Amino acid sequence: MYQYSEQDHQLLLERVSQFRGQVARRLKGELSEEEFKHQRLRNGLYLQLHAYMLRVAIPYGLLSSEQMRTLAHIARKYDKGYGHFSTRQNIQYNWPKLEDVPDILDDLAKVEMHAIQTSGNCIRNTTSDPLAGVARDEIEDPRPYCELIRQWSTFHPEFNFLPRKFKIAVSGATQDRAAVAVHDIGLRLVKSKTSEEIGFEVYVGGGLGRTPMLGKVIRAFLPKQDMLTYLEAILRVYNMLGRRDNIYKARIKILVHETGEEKFRELVEAEWEKIKAGGLYLKEEDFNWVKGFFNDPEYDILPDQDADFENLMLSNADFARWVDKNIELHKQSGYRIVYLSLKTAHQPPGDVTADQMDAIADLADKYSLGHIRTTHRQNLVLSDVQLKDLPALWGELKALDLATPNYNHVTDIISCPGLDYCALATARSIPISQAITARFDDYDFINDLGDVSINISGCINACGHHHVANIGILGVNKKGTEVYQLTLGGSAREDAAIGKIIGPAFEADEIVDAVSEVLSVYLENREDPEETFLTAYRRLGPALFKERLYG
Amino acid sequence: MALQVYTASLLKEGLVAYLALDNGRPSWTTDIHLATVSNDDALETLKTAAEQSEQDNIVVAPYAIDVFQTENGIVAATKREQIRAAGPTIALPQDNIRESREAA
Repeated sequence: MYQYSEQDHQLLLERVSQFRGQVARRLKGELSEEEFKHQRLRNGLYLQLHAYMLRVAIPYGLLSSEQMRTLAHIARKYDKGYGHFSTRQNIQYNWPKLEDVPDILDDLAKVEMHAIQTSGNCIRNTTSDPLAGVARDEIEDPRPYCELIRQWSTFHPEFNFLPRKFKIAVSGATQDRAAVAVHDIGLRLVKSKTSEEIGFEVYVGGGLGRTPMLGKVIRAFLPKQDMLTYLEAILRVYNMLGRRDNIYKARIKILVHETGEEKFRELVEAEWEKIKAGGLYLKEEDFNWVKGFFNDPEYDILPDQDADFENLMLSNADFARWVDKNIELHKQSGYRIVYLSLKTAHQPPGDVTADQMDAIADLADKYSLGHIRTTHRQNLVLSDVQLKDLPALWGELKALDLATPNYNHVTDIISCPGLDYCALATARSIPISQAITARFDDYDFINDLGDVSINISGCINACGHHHVANIGILGVNKKGTEVYQLTLGGSAREDAAIGKIIGPAFEADEIVDAVSEVLSVYLENREDPEETFLTAYRRLGPALFKERLYG
Repeated sequence: MALQVYTASLLKEGLVAYLALDNGRPSWTTDIHLATVSNDDALETLKTAAEQSEQDNIVVAPYAIDVFQTENGIVAATKREQIRAAGPTIALPQDNIRESREAA
């Protein structure tokens, strides 16, 4: 992974020192809340429903074991002993005291981490495929490009006060595990149709929130050398023309929509012409330098089978289930990718305790070359585990409650913090996710349902990505009561789609039954067990589901 | 007339707090049951004290909320304010809870 230079370290220390001064002045009353708010938000510090909330950036979801131990230390020393992994692959702490935040940032800086640009109207943490560099379906490793974007966007003076926040995702594989179509800019590494050259397919104007939209392909193939100049051109057009008069219409998706895809493309291309040969044009030496941070580790040469592993698969049904659900093939023979499920009946989705974090760091050192990845579905990944180590790793994960065999299955629920934590939320989401998890806790049922996603948001801002779930749940406040709308048919993958609301909302004590009915309609009507929920829904349409739910 | 209390976030800790007046002297408590309840007529006194506390950098963004007086004390009128008063409605993740569950 990227290693900070002396300059990077210096910059970060200066930034923490600045913020320490700002906090001191705020506590002494020399800064008003209005003045201070802009400073704290620049450093990822929100004031939420119950307390301050600090959002720490995890660039494209990549963590070292040392960084994970620091995250555990912060949870233990300054918070209530846990953290929450978010859908932007970041981590959030729910209970820090204002006066402790400079110390937290100092501790983070020691391990090359920070909370800069995790809030505010700037370019946020760039997200990516959690399987980057190890996936079998990868065209090219997206991480070097994410790092170039991170460096370009961090403290970019021109884009520090955009009309609204700005999110970029990069994927380098044929399967989309980074939800590129629902980002302000989504980049997909693709092979040219006419040559062997690899470049980017550029999506602009995707997003969720109150006006969900899929990104439009404004360039089918962008040479890699032009990545930053083209991003700069898009951001310039947005910065000039994006609406600042109405916060609900300020995202780039609205600009693209209102301008029209063709006209927007012309504007970007015209801006790009002016700067494409400038200093941001990427040269071979730039790529060589950044790719040096993401070289493959020295993998052992191993057979792709192991007798002990095979034996345990045959003799232990629990192990076989875990392997079936939470393990993916690795590009390297004899290695596997392991999903650590943060979706249990015992903790909110994405929450991890300090002891779990320390234990995960130890497991990463012991079994996976010292690295951990976070996923936008709020799970963790150990990316380089030897096949022969899977039985031992499974035993340790089970003891940590991190081995629920449910990856991409019905209880692998994305949930925003909702009204239990969030100042913007209008309804609770975690209790709904827990009720669904409790209802569908039978492995055979989960297995039979197959690949299906449930996402829950506690308000229209859609942090729980409910629009792009196969089954989406949106909590709203209706005359003082929390009610839940169901949307069906969404997808965040390469077949991205925005789900449609199926009908009137359900009360909290009805929504789990409603989900159960939806799943029953699928099970009763699928062509065969291979037909997934989404495929069946697309074939059947909403009518059957609607009839079952509302008569 | 609706009963109200003043609430805000404590500047230092960020925690939810409620205004209590003791012989006119303001203090902020995290326990809603200790808040000073006011009807519309006396709300102005609470408002003045709350705004003074904001100027004194004790609290951030004070505002009045509707409450009910019940046998069990003061209860906020809305779900949002009930959750602010009592904390998250879910069990917070704790290492010792998981260990005891496993031991059981």
